Amino acid sequence: MKSISISFAILALLLLLQCGGGKTDGVVIEWWQFWTDPAIKPTIEKMIADYEAANPGVKINITDLTWANGHEKIVIAFSSGTAPDIVELGSDWIWEFASTGQIAPITDEVVKDTSLFHGWTPATLDSQIYAFPWILGTRVLFVNNALSTRAGLKDKYVPANWEQMKLLCYKIDSLGEDIYGFGANAAEKHTLYKKFLPFYWSTGGRIISEDGKYAVISSDRCYQALKFYKELSDSCGMIDTQRRLEDAFLAGKVGVIISGDWLLKRIKRGNINIDFVTSLIPGPEYPGKSFVGGEYLAVSSKSPHQREAIRFIKYLTSKENQILFCKTNYSANPSHKEAALDPFFKDDPNLMTFVSQLRLSEFPPPDPQWVYIEDIIETMLEEILFKNAPMVETLYEARNKIQKLIDSK
Amino acid sequence: MKAVRLIALSLVLALMIFPLLWMFRVSLMPPGAGLSLEELISPALSLLPYQDILTSGKMALFFFNSLLVGVVVTVANILFCFLSGYAFARHPFPGRRFWFYSVLFVLMIPSHIVIVPLYIMLHKLGMYDTYWALILPFAVNPIGIFLVRQYLETLPTSMEEAARIDGASELQIIFKVVMPLCKPALAVLAIQVFLTNWNSFLFPLIFTSSESVRTLPVALALYQGHQAIDWSHLMAGSSLAVIPVLAVFLVFQRQIVSGITAGAVRQ
Amino acid sequence: MKRQILAGNFLASPWIVTFLAFWLFPLFYSFFLGFTDFRLMRPDYNWVGWENYINLFRDKAFIEALINTFIFVIGTIPFTTVIALILALLVEKKIPGQALFRSGYFVPSITSMVVIALVFTNLYSRDGYLFLLAKMLGMHPPENGFLLSSKTALLSIMAMDIWMSVGYYMLIFLAGLKAIPEELYEAASVAGASGRQKFLHITLPLLNPVTVFVIVINSIKSFQVFTEIYVMTKGKYGTSSAVYFIYESGLNRFEFGYASAAAYLLFVIIAIFSILQLGLMQRKHY
Repeated sequence: MKSISISFAILALLLLLQCGGGKTDGVVIEWWQFWTDPAIKPTIEKMIADYEAANPGVKINITDLTWANGHEKIVIAFSSGTAPDIVELGSDWIWEFASTGQIAPITDEVVKDTSLFHGWTPATLDSQIYAFPWILGTRVLFVNNALSTRAGLKDKYVPANWEQMKLLCYKIDSLGEDIYGFGANAAEKHTLYKKFLPFYWSTGGRIISEDGKYAVISSDRCYQALKFYKELSDSCGMIDTQRRLEDAFLAGKVGVIISGDWLLKRIKRGNINIDFVTSLIPGPEYPGKSFVGGEYLAVSSKSPHQREAIRFIKYLTSKENQILFCKTNYSANPSHKEAALDPFFKDDPNLMTFVSQLRLSEFPPPDPQWVYIEDIIETMLEEILFKNAPMVETLYEARNKIQKLIDSK
Repeated sequence: MKAVRLIALSLVLALMIFPLLWMFRVSLMPPGAGLSLEELISPALSLLPYQDILTSGKMALFFFNSLLVGVVVTVANILFCFLSGYAFARHPFPGRRFWFYSVLFVLMIPSHIVIVPLYIMLHKLGMYDTYWALILPFAVNPIGIFLVRQYLETLPTSMEEAARIDGASELQIIFKVVMPLCKPALAVLAIQVFLTNWNSFLFPLIFTSSESVRTLPVALALYQGHQAIDWSHLMAGSSLAVIPVLAVFLVFQRQIVSGITAGAVRQ
Repeated sequence: MKRQILAGNFLASPWIVTFLAFWLFPLFYSFFLGFTDFRLMRPDYNWVGWENYINLFRDKAFIEALINTFIFVIGTIPFTTVIALILALLVEKKIPGQALFRSGYFVPSITSMVVIALVFTNLYSRDGYLFLLAKMLGMHPPENGFLLSSKTALLSIMAMDIWMSVGYYMLIFLAGLKAIPEELYEAASVAGASGRQKFLHITLPLLNPVTVFVIVINSIKSFQVFTEIYVMTKGKYGTSSAVYFIYESGLNRFEFGYASAAAYLLFVIIAIFSILQLGLMQRKHY
């Protein structure tokens, strides 16, 4: 009994302490964000401190989100009417929040900035802008140079088109039993389709027609892209999850993979000894296209401080702060076009690959039903790649399912 | 015969702890290293992950929060589950069946569904982002009630009756007679509740946001990045997180085997 | 008698209060939502009656998830229960290193499921120890690792689950064994009973309420298998479970009404299963 009363006494004390914070005058802006890595968090905290110093009366309250289940936390908070003022959203989440009226349209406030930044596509719904692009991320081709030279190619060789890429992967694959040519993704949620779509987009193909009325994924172009990808995956692919493919690439077991700037950061931070080159993702002809996503900042439609929130967002996404952010975090794709001109990027050929690829990359089509479309595309890919389902029929089936979704609107 | 048994037990033991040894090995890898076989059997050792965690200051706070919530919830559960379980096993009060089913009901509904309304409620009650949100809904664990009830059913009632005839009050019977007999079950309960709370992730993640009330599993989840897992730090943190639970286990497991056994009951 | 009734209510009040304060509303609210087309983040919704339930039976993904869940439950519980009981009997006797064995067997239950699942994701992969071990033993593991094949993924998760939970149920059995009066064994020995007879006629029957607890709790937990799947396969390769489906549709695709209906359907299945177990097994004892 004694221990119970003691614990409750401690608890009561703590609760008192917790409530004793008191209220500050002025505006308090709640901001939920995902950058919790000890390498970048202090920089973000410093940005906040500088902002608060320059704007007396404004306080920024930061809350860390975890990648594991962070999305759920946001969804639950928004649907319960307890959303923060500013939230960091992944590009593919914006439509759902926008179409349900949970985040505020900020068109009037940002319309002057649109030419200065990349990445408005996923932030736009029915010609209204709902979120501000912050740090984007595209994917490029990584080639293990040590393996490709061993396979008889010249130093720093990168493939320019599908034929060359196929040849390169085959040659590396024949180096040995436990060496694979191409890192092909296994059935992995939210990942597999991001690796295939670049090849489809490189052919000039689309998922939904320009007027938004028709699903057009069963085109001959998609068939060609699928055939190419399946050939690579079947004949010289190591089939595994993205994380493990990256491990295998760094260990010199896979010659060519598609990955993002996080891999550059990992190599840099871990001082990993690897001889590699990056290049634009090849298309049937040079150059191809890539997939791009990113982190956006949005304002809750219930926030009483929308103006102040947008001001803070503009501060965070300013050229100087984006450069600072990218330098500290080794991110390659600031949304601010001028930020990408900083010597930090120019002096690093790998970062430059990302900067150039960004101009040659696409977002998934802006559609509030994207979660369902994504699912259909992934299922189709799994059927074709891993269960050897007939390509043409499976493609048509997927097209019909997407068409049904469009028609049901 | 005895030797055979020992060998069998040791083999099982090896099987059981092997994955944990792997976890411990990874926790001693230099940060950023890979996890391939070659690297794991290499002699590369680094205490850096532990050093980072132990010196990062805030980890102590998260550790303390977890400990505080864990201890309070465990103590509350030992008392409350015991009383409730006792009522369900021994007292034919009206509605007993109904309330017992309510215990099972709560167990059977997936938490992903109730978490949303529960979140709304905690917000309305002003408990969001406080210790209360991590303590009150979990202060009486349905599994604990069920465990105590089932355990009491294995125990003979003779001692309680004898005490009643001797004129002991209900309270005396409960705390002086039944509770000591339940020691093994309560020890299991204590271990189970502490363990569940210590590792609980989804509820603390959704029900709190400030660092001041953050618990260890939520903090450790931060090492699982979007695109890469910080293996050595995550495994070092997880290895450290095992220690308190192991301590609780070692303390209470003695109660399971050395408590007053029913063998002492005079028939 | 009246005093007894009052006492019963009073003693059970911690639970009654907790239930009324924290669980009643969420339970009713989600039950209600199961009959609506409620989507998270949308304030307006319509009453749709039984439509969600009817659609669930037509939903291939849900049926598949349900079947996987049944395989998981039926494939793990007998093993977990029997192994846990055997381990409990073995470590209950006085042997050298008793405490070491007991703690060693329990340790897997201590670590958080997320971490364990991450560890096993590695052990099961193409260069993981378990994969290499299987190869050495002359088995033919799927070439991309155990988790990336529909043939082995679910089985691998089940094996991990058994590994992880036997220690915990062993502990409960140990506590249960302590409640059996020593005199009964002594009397049986005097009467010349063999070890096997003692086990069948004393240990098993007297342990029954605890066995019921172990099986019922394990069933409830296994029917709700989620974290392992979320971490290891995200429902791919034939591993989607009922709760994973509920999570996907409710929190990822925001169809919360539909997910609530699925949750209550699962609840009914678990309830029937548990009542059958309680009814069948409890009766034997009394």
